[in-house]
Amino acid sequence: MIYELRHITTYGYSRPVPFSRCILRLLPRDGNGQRVLKSELLITPRPAERNNGICFFGNQMTTITITKPHRELKLEMRARIEVDRPLPPHAGLTRNWEDVAALALDSRSLAPDSPAHHLYPSRLVPQVPVVVDYARSSFEAGRPVLEAACELMARIRRDFTYDPEATEVTTPLAEAFEQRHGVCQDFAHIMIAGLRGLGLPAAYVSGYIRTIPPPGQKRLEGADASHAWAMLWCGPEIGWVGLDPTNDLIVADDHIVTAFGRDYADVAPLDGVVIGPGTQKVGVAVDVVPVG
Amino acid sequence: MPVQGRTRSGRSRAERRAALLAGYRPLPGVFDEFIDGSGNVRPHWEPFLSGWCALSPSELTQRFGLADRHVRDTGVSYRVHGDIDERDPGVGERAWPLSHVPLVIPEAEWQVIAAGVTQRAELLSTVLDDIYGPGELIAEGHLPAAVVTGSPDYLRPLHGIAGGGTLQLYAADLGRGPDGRWWVLQDRTQAPSGTGYALENRLALARAFPDMFRSMNIERLAAFFQSFRAGLVARSKRVEPRIALLTPGALNESYFEQAYLARYLGFLLVEGGDLLMRDGRVHVRTIAGLKRADVIWRRIDGDFADPLELNSRSALGVAGLVEAVRQGQVRVANGLGSGVVEARALMGFLPALARHVLGRDLILPNIATWWCGQPRERRTVLDRLGEMSIAPAFRGAGNGADSTQVVAGELPETERAALRERIEARGMDYVGQEVVRLSTMPVFQNGRLEPHPMTLRVFAAATPDGWKVMPGGFCRISDEPDARAVSMRNGVRSSDVWVTSEEPVAQVSLLPTPDRVSIRRVTGTLPSRAADNLFWLGRYLERGEATLRLVRALLGRQIDPDPAPGRNDTVRQLAGMLVASGAAPGGQEKRTPAAQAYAAIYSLDDYGSAAASLREARRTASVIRERLSVDAWRLFGDLQHQLDPEDGRKPSEGETYEIADRALKSLAAFSGLGQENMVRGNGWRFLDIGRRLERGIATCRFARQLADSNASGDNLDALLDLTDSQITYRSRYLLGASLQPVLDLVMLDPYNPRSVAFQVERLDTEIANLPALADDGMLEAPRRLVLRLAADCRTMEASRLDRTSILLFEQLLMGLSGAIADRYFLQNSGPEGSRMTSIA
Repeated sequence: MIYELRHITTYGYSRPVPFSRCILRLLPRDGNGQRVLKSELLITPRPAERNNGICFFGNQMTTITITKPHRELKLEMRARIEVDRPLPPHAGLTRNWEDVAALALDSRSLAPDSPAHHLYPSRLVPQVPVVVDYARSSFEAGRPVLEAACELMARIRRDFTYDPEATEVTTPLAEAFEQRHGVCQDFAHIMIAGLRGLGLPAAYVSGYIRTIPPPGQKRLEGADASHAWAMLWCGPEIGWVGLDPTNDLIVADDHIVTAFGRDYADVAPLDGVVIGPGTQKVGVAVDVVPVG
Repeated sequence: MPVQGRTRSGRSRAERRAALLAGYRPLPGVFDEFIDGSGNVRPHWEPFLSGWCALSPSELTQRFGLADRHVRDTGVSYRVHGDIDERDPGVGERAWPLSHVPLVIPEAEWQVIAAGVTQRAELLSTVLDDIYGPGELIAEGHLPAAVVTGSPDYLRPLHGIAGGGTLQLYAADLGRGPDGRWWVLQDRTQAPSGTGYALENRLALARAFPDMFRSMNIERLAAFFQSFRAGLVARSKRVEPRIALLTPGALNESYFEQAYLARYLGFLLVEGGDLLMRDGRVHVRTIAGLKRADVIWRRIDGDFADPLELNSRSALGVAGLVEAVRQGQVRVANGLGSGVVEARALMGFLPALARHVLGRDLILPNIATWWCGQPRERRTVLDRLGEMSIAPAFRGAGNGADSTQVVAGELPETERAALRERIEARGMDYVGQEVVRLSTMPVFQNGRLEPHPMTLRVFAAATPDGWKVMPGGFCRISDEPDARAVSMRNGVRSSDVWVTSEEPVAQVSLLPTPDRVSIRRVTGTLPSRAADNLFWLGRYLERGEATLRLVRALLGRQIDPDPAPGRNDTVRQLAGMLVASGAAPGGQEKRTPAAQAYAAIYSLDDYGSAAASLREARRTASVIRERLSVDAWRLFGDLQHQLDPEDGRKPSEGETYEIADRALKSLAAFSGLGQENMVRGNGWRFLDIGRRLERGIATCRFARQLADSNASGDNLDALLDLTDSQITYRSRYLLGASLQPVLDLVMLDPYNPRSVAFQVERLDTEIANLPALADDGMLEAPRRLVLRLAADCRTMEASRLDRTSILLFEQLLMGLSGAIADRYFLQNSGPEGSRMTSIA
């Protein structure tokens, strides 16, 4: 499947900002069943300094410095991406979860895709005992890891309500868990917390999902959204498998990956320091258009 | 020596010795530093003990007093976590608890410690270089990757960057076990604290016991600091690099130490907000523009050093620091990622790593440690749970309930079972460690010596000539008699460490040799933040002074037995001025002027009161501590004492008058210190500019209130009091106070050091001497404003002065203050600067 992506973010400031330095993680990464055919990032106002780089986890990273006063920062990402992932493994034939945990702990690699990076609590995914207990009920002794994880994913989809009003970027996952309400970011964090609590390596992915308009309706311009889900390491043979608890789906060709990390903090589309007083407003428009 | 004297003092020496030792009973099963197994004083302590016994109890007390006064006078303090008041940095600062008995270690024994610490520093350096570099130790199975990734101090963005984990200063916390061997309890690789405290303890005890200090051949510390400094210099490409000590700020628990070290080593003390990354380089923001920083000695955790690539919630760091390190444009010591090898989990692997990496065993073993992330080790720990100490494997690991070290055998049965369950579920978060019993050393208490458990922190610095170990250290002594290592967390006293040599020791000082010094008259760089704080220190001190003068003028009239006509009106006006300047509460018509005067001295709720101004002055001073002398700091103590209402009793009007008078004398002493003892550098200049501006503004206000066209004689008299111009006026004019001569003297006379014109002349001189940024020949805003003010003062005539024209002077002075802030201080940064948040 080939997609045309467009993601526009606009920051409006109540007072002019004289200086800002930011890291942007908006350009999609290559590999793992997807190929970036073309991508660009337009920034207005034009930054005084701009550097492209790759972060530790292999994500695209753009560092910019804007030195002239501005009241608006507009970031427009456009990309053309081909997605063709291998079929997911048969869940019932994966290794049992205790083995996977032991293998991860025994890892001899600090490479970006090593499971060792994803075993411990991270900044936005602390250890929350009730979340681990919630996850544990799907992990009977000796159960194949992907089968158990898929059950956990299905339970999250069933037990939690998608509700953009319930949480913000900064809501702790324990709170979202308590409410049983949230958005994709919360569900991904909750799933990761549960898996890691059991000693399984779990990662966070930011990206997009293709949306199919209801029958007879046209796709609305800019109405798509960015998305997030979890990844589970299923052993050295299979490696990482994407699990989308918001939609109860194993990730295949409808998902487009932007970045991969331990939690949202590693992949936040924008991190930065703005020097100046005042408040900010954010506007977002996303289009995910399948073109062939 | 007369025979009789010796006999007499010999007898009392023996008695003193007996008295000191009377209660000294080493704890069973514990090594004692002072007394050996058969109850005899260990030989290397004898010179110390006989030195003490040569002193009578009163002499000894007097010596302790010398040490304690040294500690108090230098303001050595530390802060206790969770005991912080943002408004007043004095809160939570504790006096330094110095024990007057040093830890004595003979040189031969010390050499083993030094060799062991050096070896460990080398080993940990190698491990760090491998973790942030090729990762061979991990690939070959000598170190599980999960022992690295579990640490929050493993900073992934530093991977592959030269110097990502470089160790420059290393410290090891040691304890001595029952068999007399030294053990490493904990490694300190992040940003070890304690070198400055060790130095302070040394100075304090050396002052108390200079004679012993000479006769016992004690190894000196200065050479270590010289080497440490040389090591930092060697990291830079420039011959005379600018070295900055990056502090978390005045609220940090060891801020005093950081300020002290910055001054001792000649480094620039900076906070994150003082630094700016631009074009790949790190600069200090100074009043003369951006100045490059070559080496940063950080005292903040690596994770907090860069909000852009590291912890985005940090408000302490420098955005872009990691990038500057990546480009090789700045050296950070210790390397930002160095904290990763502090993890307890790593300790279990060090004995084998030493054999693999160095080809030999550890000279100083660490406490036996089992990382429960490995099946066999986890089994061992669970099997022996009752006798083990369980601790988080990494900083912050576990789930809060067990984030500290516990002795599992002492937990109630249910808690122990829960701990066992957690270790079974996620063993990688825990280590089991052997419970270590610490040795004890003497502490002087209740007139005699008592054994107390202690730990010893030893420091090693990387230098161009290899690792150098500080011959001495930071000894912490517990108040609890429990000798288990775990109870040392609340170590409450500290002491100096004396490494005694057989030979006389060489003297080294940090003072450089004369022929290598180039003469300089201007001292270095003034960061904008320091300038800002000095400026406000000047303003707050002057503000306090103005309030005290108002109080004195008011109460002087109240207690005058022979009041002048119109006196009550003047008193009311003065009370109104106290309200207008925020020194006393408004809307209190029923309160007597005396009650308002009382509030203006003491009330911390009124921002303009003398006490509140002093609090603010102290706050601004505390963040530039390294720039103030010990004497200045002591005056703060005196002032605070004077402005503290004693036992809640309300003093009489006469007493309050005296209090204001005394406080004014202390403030005058502070001014005197500034005038006589501070170098006329830019630091002094900003302090003076602050004072002059505030004084000019206050004088304008006084004149507006008290010298309008229908001012009474007593009003003008009060104005002369407030501006300290009575005597001058009387010497010039025979008649009583009359409007125009008073206004001329107070506002326009350039020879009266209290007049507005005088302040403006001084401001003109000081501002002309400040560095300029522009090279286009145009005047910068502060200079332009002050020139205009000076011209106005010179050309104005007293007959044309009225409320409106005085208000104009006042506004110009306030405009000048704003222009100085815009030009020289950090604007729109620090806490006011907002952080961009991003969306999902």
